[in-house]
Formats: sequence, structure tokens, C-alpha cells
Amino acid sequence: MRSRDLVRKEIAELAASRAFWLLLVIVGLLTGQGFITAVNAYAEASGIGGGAAALAQGLSPLDGILTPTLGAYDLAITLLFPFVAIRLVASEKSSDALKLMLQWPSSIGSQIATKVIALIGSWIVSLVPFFIALALWRGYGGHLHAAEVLNLLAGYTLRFLLIASIAMAAAALMSGAANAAIIVLAFTIGTWALDFIAAGRGGIVQTLASFTPTATSRGFERGLLRVDVVLVMLIISLLGFAIAAIWLRLGRSIRTRLAHSAIAVTVAAIATICAMQVRASFDLSKNRRNSFSPSDERALAGISDPLTITVFLSSEDPRMTDFENNVLLKLRRAKRDVRVIYPLAGRSGLFENDARYGEVVYQLGSKSAMSRSTTEEIVLDTIYGLAGVRAPARETSSYPGYPLAKRASGAEMVFYVAWPIVVAVIWFVRRRSLFGTERSAGAA
Amino acid sequence: MSLAVAGLCARRGSRAVLTDVSFTAHPSEILGVIGPNGAGKTTLFECVAAVLPFHGGTVHGEPLFYVPDAIRPWPDQTVRWTLELTARMFDSRLDETLFADLDLVALQHATVGSLSKGEAKRLDIAMGLSVPRPVLLLDEPFDGLDLRQTRQVMSILRRDAAKGRTLVLSIHQLRDAERACDRFLLLDNGRSVAEGTISELTSRAGVSGLEEVFLALT
Repeated sequence: MRSRDLVRKEIAELAASRAFWLLLVIVGLLTGQGFITAVNAYAEASGIGGGAAALAQGLSPLDGILTPTLGAYDLAITLLFPFVAIRLVASEKSSDALKLMLQWPSSIGSQIATKVIALIGSWIVSLVPFFIALALWRGYGGHLHAAEVLNLLAGYTLRFLLIASIAMAAAALMSGAANAAIIVLAFTIGTWALDFIAAGRGGIVQTLASFTPTATSRGFERGLLRVDVVLVMLIISLLGFAIAAIWLRLGRSIRTRLAHSAIAVTVAAIATICAMQVRASFDLSKNRRNSFSPSDERALAGISDPLTITVFLSSEDPRMTDFENNVLLKLRRAKRDVRVIYPLAGRSGLFENDARYGEVVYQLGSKSAMSRSTTEEIVLDTIYGLAGVRAPARETSSYPGYPLAKRASGAEMVFYVAWPIVVAVIWFVRRRSLFGTERSAGAA
Repeated sequence: MSLAVAGLCARRGSRAVLTDVSFTAHPSEILGVIGPNGAGKTTLFECVAAVLPFHGGTVHGEPLFYVPDAIRPWPDQTVRWTLELTARMFDSRLDETLFADLDLVALQHATVGSLSKGEAKRLDIAMGLSVPRPVLLLDEPFDGLDLRQTRQVMSILRRDAAKGRTLVLSIHQLRDAERACDRFLLLDNGRSVAEGTISELTSRAGVSGLEEVFLALT
């Protein structure tokens, strides 16, 4: 009963926040802009303008519609939701309501949990424009693959939880909402920097960077569900919420709170290291873009020797990006003991005079081979050659592609006119029902 | 005995703000905590209510509730919402008579953030009274109230204490304290200087009246 009251309280506080209603309006507008642009670009690629349609197999709603439409939420999670989460904690600190709440029979941990539930509720409400976009897309005759949609939503929800936890922890730790906002923005910019620095470097930096919010989103946007990523994001989120609960216990000394924080961080670090060892992943993309063909996967699984690949490419070379995304990612999923070395990590590659630049050296057991190609077929043939395995017959992709030559008709009206009006009306009606007599009360 | 505080010590950084403070409070009693500005009255309340850490001493007694001075909790919510929430958190129902007793009927749909100082103070007192705890700590309950409201609140508090609740009030206006309280704890510079009824304090200080006691002992 009391927990239901706590949830109601948090929902009432969220609904009282103008920032939340503004966020809903902005998310609707941004989602509409992303969706309309995506549908029109997709239509052109499908040949609506009379030009040649792109190869049908290359037209995937995951890349063409879902990801650009959810791009609005990328912005909202990074720049808008942190303020909503910060407000839930900081306003109670600054108004001294926290001193009352600390005396309630409910523990501060359960109060934080109800704040998280309310925030998740706000996230689901904010997704309404995305669901409207999906309905419109289906209405136009577009195709959707449920596993891709759910995986993408799961990825963005995990990212939302992570940022919400950082925001709440910052609000609990810092003396004001502005300071907390600076901490959250610093965290976001820090992860961007890490993501940038780590590209093609290998080692611990690249491993760490693969868990930044931006990097994790890229995986989900490819239809890849990595269990280690899910676990690490959940662990860090829980750590953030735990830190918030620890630092809101004003009755504990700073030393005690520091000790509890250290314990929480240690437990989370151990859990994260364990989670990072989990190799399970699921390719939920309809076109199996994260996997080799089943016959290649079987052949690779049959090779027992560990494989070491040395890539003489700089991190900013486009071939490196292709090699990472189209070959190494699949290879790591198909074969457990793959080690990749990046000797030129950190170099731009623009003025390379190294004779070995562009080489990719494969070592399997005592045998080694060199190739300059980064295409999937040649890489696989090189590995099969080293292993003395007959290359399986190449399978053609069964993915048909889903072209749709239709414009986003009616979407402007829905996102740019109807959505802001609906949000404003709900806000106004709610306000009137709560405070309708305030003016007369004030007059009295 | 409803509340027993013994040897309470608290620091802010390296500065001691409470040193070896001890006192007791009994059922149906109104204990006034008085002392000059900076004596440590609010710190004492916050330590006793466990919303501020203390570094030595003990607090024993029945469950208590503390209402800080001059707070406007949940400023975007209404007065009624705030009072109902407070009562519900303690599995209690809001006593509707509080609205009339504290002149809050006309304000129940006003937002907490829109209240004047005196209105917010009446809300704070109502919040304290709506919590079914045997001991209630109110920090400066008369601050911001006019004479009529002060007398009205005193009578409400007196009525509440008569039902068995222990009230501990921090008061800087000594005339108000003299009228409202049964016993006093005099704090000075973070230490408990004296504790007792007005007659006990006056005989100890060798003066008459609480103001003279205050001047003689602090």
C-alpha cells in the first residue's frame, strides 16, 4: 500500500515538472522529423522519384527507418532526460522535503526504487511518438521485424536507465541541480571522448569503450544483443542508484557514506569484470548482418587452434572500420579464441610510409599468412587455408529486402500539430483538475 | 520517559557544534529548547531525528518525527496533497479538522510554493500533527505567525500534548516559550546550560522570568 503511494507521489512529482511536459513535446517533434526524413529517403532509395531503385536486399527498415526515428531519443536521453531525473532528487534536497522523507517508515532505498519506477514510466510515455511512427510505417505498408524493434528498444531503455542512474547519483552527491547537470554532461562527453580515442586501438581501452552508451547503441542498432553489454549496463545503472541511496542518507557521516560507496563500487567492479567475460550474443537482425553464414560458422567452430590477427591499419582508416564491423565482429562471435593486435593504434594513417601499412597478418597455431584484403570472403578463405579446412560452399543471403516507395503522408500533421496539442491539452486539463480552485483560494 | 538524549556531540568539519548535550522529555510534556542564535538548537533536533550525523552520545526513546523550520516541501503540489501524503506514509488518515484548526481550509488547493511564510509555517505544523508519532520535534513553530495565530497554535499544541504526545519545540522568542512550554532546555554554544521548569531555572539563576534566566546563564 505504502509503496503504491510512493509511486503515486513520484508520478505526481514528474507530472508537476514542466521540464517533463516540454520533453514530451520536443521528443514528439524530433521523432517526427527523424521519421519523416527517413521515410522519404527510404522511398527515394526504393525508386519513388523514377530513378533506379537501390538493390532491394540493401533496404532494411532497421537501418532506414527504426534507427533514424529513434535518433530523437538519443538526443533526449543525452540532453533532456538527465534534467528530469536530477529534478526528482535535487528538488527534494533543496526544499528540505528529503529531511521529512528520511523519517518515513519506507527506507530511502525503496524510495529511490519508486523514483526509478516513475522514471521508467516517463520513458514509456515518451516512447508514444515512436510507437505512432511504427503504426504510420505499418500503415504505409512498411515491414517491421519484431525482434529488431524490441532489441532496439531494449538498447535505448538500458541507455536511459544508465543515464538516469548517473543523473540521480550526481543529484544526490552534489549540492545543487546545476552542479549535478554538469557532472552528467561531463560523463556524457567523457564517454564520447573514450569512444573516439578507443577506435581501432584494441586492449583495455577498446574493451572499456565498447560499453559506452554510444558504442552499446551501435550494437543494438545493428540488431545485435550482447549479453555482456546488457549485464554491464544493468550493473552500472544499479551502482548509480545505490550511490544515490547512500548519499541521500543525511544522517550517516561522510566517512560512513564513503565506506558504503567504496563497497558498492568494489562489488560493481567485480560484477562488471565477471559480466565482461560472458561471450553470449544474439544476432536478432533479419538479414543476419552480425553473423557469417551458418556453414561458415560451423567451419570456424571446428577450428580448434587460437587465431591471432595483426592489423596494420590506423584507427581512422575506413578499411579499418569496415574490417571491424563486417569481419572482426562476426569472427569474434563465431570463434571464441580470436585475438586482434593493432600495432598502428593512435596513428592517423594519412602520412604512413610503413611498408607494412595495409597488411593483415593471420596466425593460426604455427602457421601464418598475410593479406591486404579486408573483405569477408577473402578473410575466411585465408583462415580456412591456414587451418587446412575446405571452405564451405558460399550461401546466398535469403534476406529479400523491404523496399517501400511511399512518402510519409500525414506524418507532419501527426507529429508537428496533433502531438503538441494533445500534450498541451493533457497538461492543461491535469493542471485545472488539481489547481482549479487555487485562484479562488488565493483570493480568499 | 519518551525521549532521552545523553552526551550528544556533533561536529561540522573540525568545529564542535554540540558538546555533551543531555536532556529528557516526558509524555504529555512540552519541552522548549531555547538559546541564542547559533547555540545549536536546529543541529540538536536534526541529530536527534537522525537526519544529521552525530559523533558521540545516545538517543533513546519512542519513535519521533521532526519538522524543520521554514520548509516548503514539494512546492509544485497542493497543501492537501502534501498533508495527505504525509499521513499516508505513516499508514494514517488525514485529520480533516487540522485544516480548520490551522486556517488551511482556503489554502488546501494552493501550491506549497505559493504560500507565504506564515501559511507555510501552518502547513509545517499540520504536517507534524498529522504524523502519529509519540514524540514531535518542531523547529521554531511560531516563527512567521502573528499574535492571534501564535496563540491559536499554542492552544492546538497544548491540546495535542494533553492527548499524550511529547512535544519538543525550538523557540527563540522567550515570551512565546514561556507561554507554550512546561519545561526548558537552555543551550549555549552547543552545550546544555540548564534544564528544568521556569521556577527551577529562576531559582538556580537567582533571577525572575525566563528572559533574565537567559541573560544570566548564557
